[in-house]
Amino acid sequence: MRYGFFPGCTLESAAGELMISTKKVASALGIELIELDGWTCCGASHIQDVDEFLATSVNARNLALAEKLDAPLMTVCNTCTLMLRTTKKDLDEDPELKKKVNKGLRESGLEYKGTSEVTHLLWALIQDYGIENLKKLVKKPLTGLKVANFYGCHIVRPPQIMGFENHRNPRSMEMIAEALGAECVDFDQRLACCGFHAVFPAEKEVLKLTATNCISSKMAGADCMVTPCPLCQMQLDMYQPDAQKGYSADIEIPILHLPQLIGLALGYSPEELAINRHIVNAVPKLKESLGV
Amino acid sequence: MEKFIFRIHRYDGTTKWVQEYQFPYEENKTVLWALTKIKDEIDPTLNFTSACRHAICGSCGVRINGTSYLGCKTPLDEIIETFDSKMLTFEPLKNYDVIRDLVIDWKPKMKKLKLVKPWLIPTEEGSVEKGFKQTEQEFSKIASPTDCILCGVCTSECGQLNVNDGVYLDPFILNKAYRFALDSRDGSSNEHIQPVLDNELWKCIHCMQCVTNCPKGIPLTDQIAYLRKTTMKMGAKDNQGARHAYAFYDDVKKVGRLNEMMLPIKTDGMVKTIGKRVPMAARMVYKGKINPLHMPKKVNGIEGIRKIYKYAQEVSK
Ligand code: SF4
Ligand code: SF4
Ligand code: FES
Repeated sequence: MRYGFFPGCTLESAAGELMISTKKVASALGIELIELDGWTCCGASHIQDVDEFLATSVNARNLALAEKLDAPLMTVCNTCTLMLRTTKKDLDEDPELKKKVNKGLRESGLEYKGTSEVTHLLWALIQDYGIENLKKLVKKPLTGLKVANFYGCHIVRPPQIMGFENHRNPRSMEMIAEALGAECVDFDQRLACCGFHAVFPAEKEVLKLTATNCISSKMAGADCMVTPCPLCQMQLDMYQPDAQKGYSADIEIPILHLPQLIGLALGYSPEELAINRHIVNAVPKLKESLGV
Repeated sequence: MEKFIFRIHRYDGTTKWVQEYQFPYEENKTVLWALTKIKDEIDPTLNFTSACRHAICGSCGVRINGTSYLGCKTPLDEIIETFDSKMLTFEPLKNYDVIRDLVIDWKPKMKKLKLVKPWLIPTEEGSVEKGFKQTEQEFSKIASPTDCILCGVCTSECGQLNVNDGVYLDPFILNKAYRFALDSRDGSSNEHIQPVLDNELWKCIHCMQCVTNCPKGIPLTDQIAYLRKTTMKMGAKDNQGARHAYAFYDDVKKVGRLNEMMLPIKTDGMVKTIGKRVPMAARMVYKGKINPLHMPKKVNGIEGIRKIYKYAQEVSK
């Protein structure tokens, strides 16, 4: 299995631990990730507010880079996935737009053809790798660990663009967590928004959302939350101390990236997966539940 | 015999309770069919609203297992498949005051809707004598937004409204502003758009719930992007939302990637950032989560990206 890897900006800075854990997990599973040479920011759902055509063009360029490798494009970020899939859909459905966009790419010797699919690690594990194959590599089953799967919006919505599974009741995260031996809790905010994209203009509201998301998973008995999106992870983890300030109830809960959860079951230590970098320390809980 | 079990959240104006109804499962029926059956055959005191039964009047919105649906348009079998259960919990739409049972109060929303002047402010060219003609192409711009049936499903699902004090405009109100701002017969689009900006336009959290659940498939989030772009064209660039969007726009042009270290300063300004975000930054540096000295380098092919920017500017002209 071979993918054109699109890390996205956060993996180069605040979510460096996701880069580390993704690479560890991919190599343990025998998945080849070739980082796209010269990839740019996907626009993160902001550039279209300034110039929609530009947002489409920049992502057409990213897609063309994957096409050059003759491989599907893989991300580990919900918003990157949505931005790239939106562009792909727009271009594939509108030949006029495609022509216009390609005119801009031609100057740098690139062309968008539409030959590379856009996928996320979560989907690739289920669709391409197979849950049964994943199970075979589990060295340290996560027995006793209760996880709250926080999907994040952009891995399921809008379904016309994402469409991998039923957006009102997805199961992919549960399938993976259960394959690793963890127990999944059901909680109200499972499909809620983390609010990250408006944390500056809507800080008060977004911190309220963070607190609600944390409390909801805690009340359901979770030891930690797990998310397939680095932006959700940042919002829930980095901003948790700020969200706590508004409430007397203890909202503290550790937040893991999906590849970190997988890595634990493959036998890596929390340090090898850079779990110790999170603001809310996950290590004590993991020690208590898993003895790692 | 297979059975439906409906647990309906009820409210009589003072007391709230959950009432359970059981009746035989039938294939190929809608949500509204079931509610009507309960009222007709089991409990006449149950209150809900409906009229057209054809997804036109917009009165039959309801929440099932936490998600909002248009009752007359939604097959029960689809819901059973989604939740893998015939036991379903019914609640009134969220982010509305409840009058009785599943009946919500639209009055405050109508008052809020008026903020964006949801009517035509005619152009000079049109008159009662000459009429207000529109070409097919001009009409096609407003064809989709005029499909809104004011069902309130988008409001009920809106991630921002869930945590907002009530100022943020409901997605259907944003749709109305968009619809009149784009109407070729309207001569004063700013009058529809300024109130949108004044009422927390930049607080949309991009949760995609409105566009996902709108039973009319209205591209509400694309409209929000359009409204934002238009406010910036009108000159409103000195606010957090616009500055944040431009930070991304500028960084990609400069190096290809986002400079996360500089983002708060660009969005909030130096003073506010030092006051507010230094404790957070310190936490992050301490944990090794960020390296304050990391500056993204120019990506391979940056010249090509700048050419794309230049080209996009020509195209948008
Ligand atoms: S995308 Fe924005 S307007 Fe739409 S439901 Fe979410 S917060 Fe509300
Ligand atoms: S925009 Fe869609 S969901 Fe919202 S009120 Fe109109 S028809 Fe209903
Ligand atoms: S009854 Fe009119 S829209 Fe459903």
